[in-house]
Amino acid sequence: MRARLPDVEGHVDRDGVEIGYEVHGNGAPTLLLLPAWTIVHSRLWKGQVPYLARRHRVVVFDGPGNGRSDRPQDPDPYGHEAVAAAAIDVMDAIGTDAVVLVSLSKGANWSLKLAVDHPEHVLGQVFIAPSVPLAPPSGARARSVDTFYDELEDPQGWEKNNAHYWLRHYEDFAEFFFSQCFPEPHSTKQREDTVGWALETKPEVLLADAMAGMPDRDTVLGWCARVDSPVLVIHGSEDRISPLSRAEALTEATGGELVVLQGSGHIPLARDPVKVNLALRDFVDRVAS
Amino acid sequence: MRARQPDLTGVVDRDGVPIFYEVHGDGEPALLLIPPSPITHSRIYKALLPHLARHHRVVTFDGRGNGRSGRPVDVEDHTRAANVADILAVLDATGTADAVLVTHCHAAWWAVETIASQPDRVRALVAIEPGVPYLGWALESTGEVLAAAEEAQDLDPPGRERFEQQCRDLGVPTLVIHGDLDVCQHVDRGAAFAELTGGDLVVIEGSGHLALVRDPVAVNRAIIRFVDRITGAAMRRHTWTRGMHRERKVLYLSSPIGLGHVRRDLAVAEQLRTRHPDIRVEWLAQHPVTTVLEAAGETIHPASDWLASESGHIASEAAGHDLHCFQALRRMDEILVTNFMVFQEVVEDGLYDLVIGDEAWDVDHFWHENPELKRGSHVWFTDFVGYLPMPDGGEREAYLTADYNAEKIEHIERFPRIRDRAIFVGNAPDVVPEVFGPDLPKITDWTQDHFDFSGYITGFTPPPPDEAAQWRAELGYADDEKICIVTVGGSGVGEDLLHKAIAAYPIAKRAVPELRMVVVAGPRIDPQRLPRYPGLEVHGYVERLYRHLCVCDLAVVQGGLTTTMELTAARRPFLYFPLGHHFEQTYHVRHRLDQYGAGVHMDYVATDPDGLAAAITAEIGRAVDYRPVETDGAERAAAMIAELI
Repeated sequence: MRARLPDVEGHVDRDGVEIGYEVHGNGAPTLLLLPAWTIVHSRLWKGQVPYLARRHRVVVFDGPGNGRSDRPQDPDPYGHEAVAAAAIDVMDAIGTDAVVLVSLSKGANWSLKLAVDHPEHVLGQVFIAPSVPLAPPSGARARSVDTFYDELEDPQGWEKNNAHYWLRHYEDFAEFFFSQCFPEPHSTKQREDTVGWALETKPEVLLADAMAGMPDRDTVLGWCARVDSPVLVIHGSEDRISPLSRAEALTEATGGELVVLQGSGHIPLARDPVKVNLALRDFVDRVAS
Repeated sequence: MRARQPDLTGVVDRDGVPIFYEVHGDGEPALLLIPPSPITHSRIYKALLPHLARHHRVVTFDGRGNGRSGRPVDVEDHTRAANVADILAVLDATGTADAVLVTHCHAAWWAVETIASQPDRVRALVAIEPGVPYLGWALESTGEVLAAAEEAQDLDPPGRERFEQQCRDLGVPTLVIHGDLDVCQHVDRGAAFAELTGGDLVVIEGSGHLALVRDPVAVNRAIIRFVDRITGAAMRRHTWTRGMHRERKVLYLSSPIGLGHVRRDLAVAEQLRTRHPDIRVEWLAQHPVTTVLEAAGETIHPASDWLASESGHIASEAAGHDLHCFQALRRMDEILVTNFMVFQEVVEDGLYDLVIGDEAWDVDHFWHENPELKRGSHVWFTDFVGYLPMPDGGEREAYLTADYNAEKIEHIERFPRIRDRAIFVGNAPDVVPEVFGPDLPKITDWTQDHFDFSGYITGFTPPPPDEAAQWRAELGYADDEKICIVTVGGSGVGEDLLHKAIAAYPIAKRAVPELRMVVVAGPRIDPQRLPRYPGLEVHGYVERLYRHLCVCDLAVVQGGLTTTMELTAARRPFLYFPLGHHFEQTYHVRHRLDQYGAGVHMDYVATDPDGLAAAITAEIGRAVDYRPVETDGAERAAAMIAELI
């Protein structure tokens, strides 16, 4: 059973793609928890929503390609402009002016895009394990980017991060990927959850997403320079997906604050939910005052 | 002694009335602590100032009519306008462009008017129990001054509407702190003030009109949190370590009052490491303990530098061969709260599994008073239980000691979870057979119920006879000499005893020709000030003094537990003189020595040089039959602690 059921559920239509959202609670300010990579969906935030909704209106939505959203197989809906636009659509649909944005991993890019395009709608931003191109990805994963479209013989480890492997062995890839997301011992439940969410979509969808491309370093730096609301960055020291140096660079570029989680991996909101919740609470309280 | 001395003091003249101010510390923004009404002065902030000054530049002053400021008695000299002008004059005199105003009671009005007239000079307002004056430090002012101050209120009635409008228009962040049992200013007044100013309200339930004095920890934390928030001064980078990713860490606090604590604490730490080789021990300690720890290669937490000196305070409380240690401990109140605030920051940051406090009075007291602040398991060490009154303290001292004992008993009854282990350094019979006070339990019964007993911990092993003979030879003491060591340890207390022993020397020398008296002045007493006789040796610091004590034929010492128990363990005859008015040496140590049949108790006042010489003659070289001192105390204590980590 879920710890809390949504007060409102709905869909918005973004250029023909249905985007599913949920609203929980009703305190100010509103928090908008952004989608991350399409391999997961909004249940990612299950450790946060019930707690935060006791004090705030909390909005989550599924990005295109997973959860209750459509699963288009062309790249356009997955670009950062499209996802940022979907977020605005959701805000319009529920009637909210300004929000605190909370993002995980590549959701950071959409958060920044929203904050610079619509500063009037953004009170502050929390970036958890931001995957932004301000520093290279973590070691072995970085190399897999170069061979992503190659046909590999018996790929091992990060070589499984490969278009062909996805199509043939999607579940095995997901299990590998989340084993890397959760290096913390005894993370079995978190791995099962995330693999389960991965299996709610399919590799063809992820490939469409992959083709949408990401903003480059200079673009992101330009966004950072224009951020004028408070920023909190939360990052694990053992993140094998996006290294701590990215969080440090993002903190520096936005003039934000950094909370380093010593011993944590890429998805601390699932593995260290209490600490993440408390950090979110403190930040939102400060922003709200 | 104060917990912190000002970096700068000065006087600003306000139309003939001198206003005395102090400046402490640095760090933005500056805080101005404004005392309320001449019934008190700036010392009302004594429990806040040292902590606040560690984070901010803090300016305070004595309001007109008390402290070191002038005492005008004309009504016109006590208007709110006059007080507002004082505030601005102090800001000017100290070169303070703007400040957070911290007020108590009546001073909140002056602050409101200051902000109304000079909004650029004020960053924010902290109003503690905002309202009208109350008692305290009353005797340093005069009835005439207070009467004038009261009348002055009528000269310029605030005008309710005008005042409320000023509050609404305040335009600076405001924090109101109010005790809900305040019978001087009702908590509703504080709530209304917070409401009008759009400020935050912190209610301290169970606290009265002087929460800043009675609950200083909560007030300190509320102020720092508020100022951090309004200035956005939260740390730019913070690290949290996952629980299962942490190393095992112990924070050890060793009382600097007497060097005996650190000796036994090092022995306990060593035993703890043999049981848990993976633990990391950090020490929060101050001089002179740090000297011993450094020599032992221990890790001293850098925040140790922020501690206010407890040993300095104790030395400042001593006069001659006299130290009223109960009152000295009471007067150490602002040092204890200051050091607790340092400690609390260290434990909130340091993720310790275990805190060991060897007579860390501040930790034990304030964790019971603020139980939600406890971090980690907590071991309390002590070698005595129960404050006892000295006879000449009369009813008042009997009342005070009983009240302190009752508070501690209530602490432990109400919050048994604060002390995870309480260890009495000694054995059950060492506890004094007294009561805590009228209608209070017997100390022996209560201690049995609430403590574990480790046995005594010497921190060293006395040499067997053949080794002792070798030490004696190495130290240059001949077999046919009778060595009498006179020492007052490492403290600056007790120089008078050295003089008395030196005066006894020629008399004793006549009776015991083989007598060789060695006087050790210690690091804090200038040996040049002591008289000299042929054949009498006077040393300043002596390395490894315990070796001398272990092989002497007699020692003349104060009544401190560590030195007397070292002599007991080494089975040497000794004369001990408890410090005057020192209840611990007078009752607790003496009782314990009696359990071992050790030492000859001497009354300092009643003993003249002839009497001392006679005692030296009688005791020197005497074979003793003391009960042996246990040697496994550190091991037993470590076994009790090891279960907690």
